[in-house]
Amino acid sequence: MADGAGSGGAYSFSLTTFNPSGKLVQIEHALAAVSQGTTSLGIKASNGIVIATEKKASSILIDDSMIEKVSIICPNIGIVYSGMGPDFRVLVGKARKSAQAYWKMYGEYPPAKVLAQEIATVMQEATQSGGVRPFGVSLLVAGWDDHRGPSLYQIDPSGSFWAWKASAIGKNMVNAKTFLEKRYHDDISLEDAIHTALLTLKEGFEGQMTEKTLEIGVITVPQDNVLKMKDGRPVPTFRKLTQEEIKDYL
Amino acid sequence: MAECSFGLIGKGYVILASDTTAGRSIVKMKEDEDKIKALGPNLIMATGGEPGDTIQFAEYVERNLRLYHIRHNHTLRPSSAAAWIRRTLADSLRSRNPYSVNLILGGYDHTTSTPNLYWIDYLGTMVDVPFAAHGYGAYFALSTLDRYHDPEAPLEEGLETLRKCVREVEKRLIVSLGKFKVKIIDRNGMREIDL
Amino acid sequence: MSIMEYNGGSVLAMKGKNCVAIASDLRLGNQAMTVATNFEKVFPVTDCLYLGLAGLASDVITLRERFRFRVNMYTIKEERQIEPATFAQLVSSTLYEKRFGPYFVEPVIAGISKKTGEPFIAATDLIGCLNFAKDFVVCGTASDKLFGVAEGLWEPDLEPEDLFETISQTLMNAVDRDAFSGWGAIVHVITPEKVITRTLKARMD
Repeated sequence: MADGAGSGGAYSFSLTTFNPSGKLVQIEHALAAVSQGTTSLGIKASNGIVIATEKKASSILIDDSMIEKVSIICPNIGIVYSGMGPDFRVLVGKARKSAQAYWKMYGEYPPAKVLAQEIATVMQEATQSGGVRPFGVSLLVAGWDDHRGPSLYQIDPSGSFWAWKASAIGKNMVNAKTFLEKRYHDDISLEDAIHTALLTLKEGFEGQMTEKTLEIGVITVPQDNVLKMKDGRPVPTFRKLTQEEIKDYL
Repeated sequence: MAECSFGLIGKGYVILASDTTAGRSIVKMKEDEDKIKALGPNLIMATGGEPGDTIQFAEYVERNLRLYHIRHNHTLRPSSAAAWIRRTLADSLRSRNPYSVNLILGGYDHTTSTPNLYWIDYLGTMVDVPFAAHGYGAYFALSTLDRYHDPEAPLEEGLETLRKCVREVEKRLIVSLGKFKVKIIDRNGMREIDL
Repeated sequence: MSIMEYNGGSVLAMKGKNCVAIASDLRLGNQAMTVATNFEKVFPVTDCLYLGLAGLASDVITLRERFRFRVNMYTIKEERQIEPATFAQLVSSTLYEKRFGPYFVEPVIAGISKKTGEPFIAATDLIGCLNFAKDFVVCGTASDKLFGVAEGLWEPDLEPEDLFETISQTLMNAVDRDAFSGWGAIVHVITPEKVITRTLKARMD
């Protein structure tokens, strides 16, 4: 039999076919793509969540203000990725649309778990449909809702998702996770979590760690764990740190 | 639409009665038309409305309930069958050509050992009732039933109440509906009787 | 002849002190002819949230089934009970989905928030325009009469038993002046601890 698609053998033609050892090799390849991507991490603190990532441009000539790796989905949810940028963009589009559809139906934004599940479903579909490839990204979803409070989810190309207290994805994720395991404790404050996040990223950082090569998003738990409204709109619980704010943390 | 059907519950039984006239415009075409369809061993349905639709719809329901019986090895309970029929009519109402069929559904539920009677119209309105009537006859029969109906009455008394209804319609309705066909359902199944 | 008045029937909801009440009549008619006197128009959504639907009886049943489906899906997916305010939005968007071929019903929502303990009432028109009220909401063929009587009888901060008396008297006196509503009534008083349901004997003519 002719070996079609590179070294994957006959089972890498159709990603919807299990190989004899019970694996979908295309998903394994997608995970390989993720592990080549820049490191991202998330830490859940007692009063919030931080998600952060290393942002590196392939050339100094690129205007890095254009690159966005931490994205706001809706006022209470933000996500970060490791892996393929274009795939992430597509998922951000779908997630935002899903959040707005939820808002139209219920007059409020989705809880983090519902949105994470929605994105996970999209990613799972790409592992079982014809003519498509899996998404080459892993995501960290940080959100707050009055039902579950602050919550942090990781979604993988296979469509599986878990809740974490702290996690890391992408290059160096094994080292980063070991580092986080040592540093993490349940009553960590958001400020400490941000510092821990930077410290963790610093371990395998390529080049200079500056406000231009970092992106940070935070969930701040509102007072009394109740959503605040201003002018008929929810006060955002997720926001991205500005370059000035990041500089202050360095 | 000078046609008419009745239904009433008694102690352990349901009686359905329907006129037997098939007509078109001012012409009487037939006077032995059976408008009460047996839908299963413990379920019967009296139909009225647009002539073609009544037969088509009754057969459609019958086939689907039979299919359910074959697939699941037991018949649908009267309450569930009624809910399915109602939903079918309600969906049909907002389709391109809706069925114009009014129904009275009578059944005996062996799981609860109770007789059931449902009044359903072409809009998909459904209500479970102790007695029911459709057509012009309803305007006369409902008052008679209000006065004489007893849900605990033995069969002979129930039939007497039904006779009163038929007599009232014969007396007061300007058109003659001819003979009435009467079917009874109880724990022993369905049977037809002469009133 | 209006479709909204074809079957007749009325629903009413009132706010009290830490409690709400919702009530409906029991008549189902075909224009002037009464077909049944056991047609309830108020349905439980959760253990402290009720939905009343007045209008075309066929759509009352269809919507009861649709909302039961949607709320069940919500409860399973979100692993929590739906809040009254969220359910009101769901009712509104479900009806507006059919903006140009609507369901001919006017819903009334009454419940107590599990989160805040706040009493909540709301009503919408047949295409889902929400009306949040702090006193009472009415709908159905006797709505104009209900408005009149409720305006006269309702007062703020009624205790459950007083609220029951107020809503019952309001409903019964209003439907007695409406040929298409009446033939008995059912009242639910919702408190944070329990729901009190009573059927009322009314004028049966």
